[in-house]
Amino acid sequence: MTLRLENLVIRKQSSTPLFSPINITIDSGEVAVVMGPSGCGKSTLLNLIAGHLSDEFNFEGRVLLQDNDLSYQPAHLRHVGILFQDDLLFPHLNIWQNLAFALPNSVKGIQRENRAIEALRKVSLEQLAYSYPEQISGGQRARVSLVRMLLAEPLVVLLDEPFSKLDKDLRIQFRQWVFEQLSKANIPTLLVTHDEGDVPIHSQLVQLDWNITNVR
Amino acid sequence: MFRATYLLLICIVIIPTLPGIIGVMLSSFSYIPPVGLDSLSLQGYADVLNWPGISTSSLLTLFTALTSTYLALTICFAILQNLWRNKHWKRVELVLSPLLAVPHVAFAIGFAFLFAPTGLTTRVISTLFGVEFDDISTSWLVHDPYAIGLTLALALKEVPFLLLMSIPILQQLEIEKLSKVGSSLGYSPSQLWIKVVLPQWLAKMRFPLFAVVAYASSVVDFALILGPNTPPTLAMLVWQWFNDPDLQLLPRAASGAILLFILTSFLLLLVLLIEKFATHYFKRWQYSGRAGISLPGASFFGIITLLSIAIFPLMLIWSYAQRWRFPDIMPSRFSDRFWESEWPSFLPIISQSIAIALITAMVTLCLAVLAHEYRIKNKLHIPGYVVAIPMLIPQLSILFGLQIATLYVSSESYYLWVIWSHIFFAFPFVYLSLDGPWKSYNQNYTRAALSLGKSPLQAFFMVKSRLLLPSILYAWAIGASVSLAQYLPTLILGGGRIATVTTEAVALSSGFDRRVTAIYALWQALLPFVFFTTAILASRLQHKARVKPAIYQESVPNDATSRKPRHP
Repeated sequence: MTLRLENLVIRKQSSTPLFSPINITIDSGEVAVVMGPSGCGKSTLLNLIAGHLSDEFNFEGRVLLQDNDLSYQPAHLRHVGILFQDDLLFPHLNIWQNLAFALPNSVKGIQRENRAIEALRKVSLEQLAYSYPEQISGGQRARVSLVRMLLAEPLVVLLDEPFSKLDKDLRIQFRQWVFEQLSKANIPTLLVTHDEGDVPIHSQLVQLDWNITNVR
Repeated sequence: MFRATYLLLICIVIIPTLPGIIGVMLSSFSYIPPVGLDSLSLQGYADVLNWPGISTSSLLTLFTALTSTYLALTICFAILQNLWRNKHWKRVELVLSPLLAVPHVAFAIGFAFLFAPTGLTTRVISTLFGVEFDDISTSWLVHDPYAIGLTLALALKEVPFLLLMSIPILQQLEIEKLSKVGSSLGYSPSQLWIKVVLPQWLAKMRFPLFAVVAYASSVVDFALILGPNTPPTLAMLVWQWFNDPDLQLLPRAASGAILLFILTSFLLLLVLLIEKFATHYFKRWQYSGRAGISLPGASFFGIITLLSIAIFPLMLIWSYAQRWRFPDIMPSRFSDRFWESEWPSFLPIISQSIAIALITAMVTLCLAVLAHEYRIKNKLHIPGYVVAIPMLIPQLSILFGLQIATLYVSSESYYLWVIWSHIFFAFPFVYLSLDGPWKSYNQNYTRAALSLGKSPLQAFFMVKSRLLLPSILYAWAIGASVSLAQYLPTLILGGGRIATVTTEAVALSSGFDRRVTAIYALWQALLPFVFFTTAILASRLQHKARVKPAIYQESVPNDATSRKPRHP
């Protein structure tokens, strides 16, 4: 599976583009990183790919998943998984129920619970299955959030500064763990970050800086 | 001094619940010394249980209260699911305040004008589609035996209140973030609303639902206009018993009020159980997969808005209709003679209503501000749920006890008791409407004023009250509107000697002259608008006079910067 951004430009209403056209191809298992100062359009780019671009913006170019143009598809049909800064686990569901929420509809009844607990076991978090999000640590919540996202079987993953709110030690540990999981899942990944330490080696880097776009 | 005033406040608006309940309890056991009943007996309860149709009345009450509450909740959810924060949401917010300002009685009268056997709907159907109605003496929706019209009208009237209560809750839930997570997990927006938003929203809507179901189970004025008569709902039946001229039968009325109290408590418990079962005990549906429908919320909102707006021109036309034969859509002759003939007797009633409303609003506002200031400065204070109790107990169940209590103090001071009862019932509304603004106020502004050498009173009047003025003015308008809408307190504690537009409108609605009813209902509907418009204009004038500072801390929902009335 390949994610391709072709001549992608975003404008706020009809003003000048936020950045010059982006052209990038991300293959399965590959991570591309978008960096740039605040307000240069990093999150807006992710919103466009995920299908959440607000009305005040318009765009040109195409977002292609394999040869399928996602640009005008409803967000929930794009199969684009997102890991946010906040874990955004649902507080009214316990951990396995949060995971079951993401499972495909084909998994029914008690199988949903079994599959959710199995997914937790794979990452050694099964002891958390019956806890509620507020009862576990920030690092554990972040991990569960990634597991939940992967259980929805996304074809592309977007990481929206998911490490920025974690403290230094946890950040390094969690970052490594995330890239391991994504590598196992073999999914094209686009990471937005401020921190150069987050950039995995051999990844493509897209530098957005007020109308300038560099792809390395 | 501050503490003494707070204690006075407790005596005026909190403690009276107790004599209210104790009074009605004792009366239900036939202990009412002022009317010569001084031995305990169960005769009142026996009379109630042996009353023909008591079980039907009780079932009607349960049915109307529960169905109307959950119908209103469903419609409210549908509107939110469809319109929350989309391009039409601003229109919803714009219309919400006027919809809330329409009093229940005026809405019920307008509903009756629309759906009575010879109402506008029948006229339109008959004229436009040529349908002939053989029997125009019975209606499906007004005084129908199954209380369908009452249920429907109650549901439609409560939707704006539930919508308003939902706004701070949804702000807290951060729907935009949830939507992003949901769609990244493959859920459509409508599926996400049902699977994720609904359970969290429902759990936080507990108090508004309590208020709605308690109101629906115990409402008398609304039911008198639209409800069934043979037999009526339990609240109407109890009200009929209270009006029995034979004072020896008062224990029967008090026992009925106790039964109503028990039914309402049962309904509150049922609402709690339904919420717990749906959100906690049986939550499999929440993670069973991607399913859920999009409800026609926009259409629902359109219908409610149209209905609420349509009653105004309809009442106006009726008030000028000299000759309006069935099935004509418009009157064949207009006249202002009803306005002319009613005006001399009507003017004192309006003046009296406004005077009572203004006094109530001012006193209630002062008490609510005092209560909030005391809460900030003292750990030991009356909790919010205690303040809200009068919103959850049937008025009939408290008022009877209070009436008995007034007999011991001063039975002839009708004005005083009416105003006090209005203050008592308006206080929770005003207090709760100020709750959000008071909690979101940045206390550092007051600290800054104190550090500049101002006294606490100066800091309050020169800084805090000015910054919170829009919310204070809205709370005042709410107090005035709640007072204006009081029916039972005015009649019971006024001993029938004090007339307001509401008591007159309800009394006239059972008569045959729709023209006069229309005049009173129109005024009953217009006065709250006058209060709210005054509040809006005053706050805008004040707003223009200064640059709006960032006075509120960001994290607290239900912020007071909103310029809409926080109708509780």
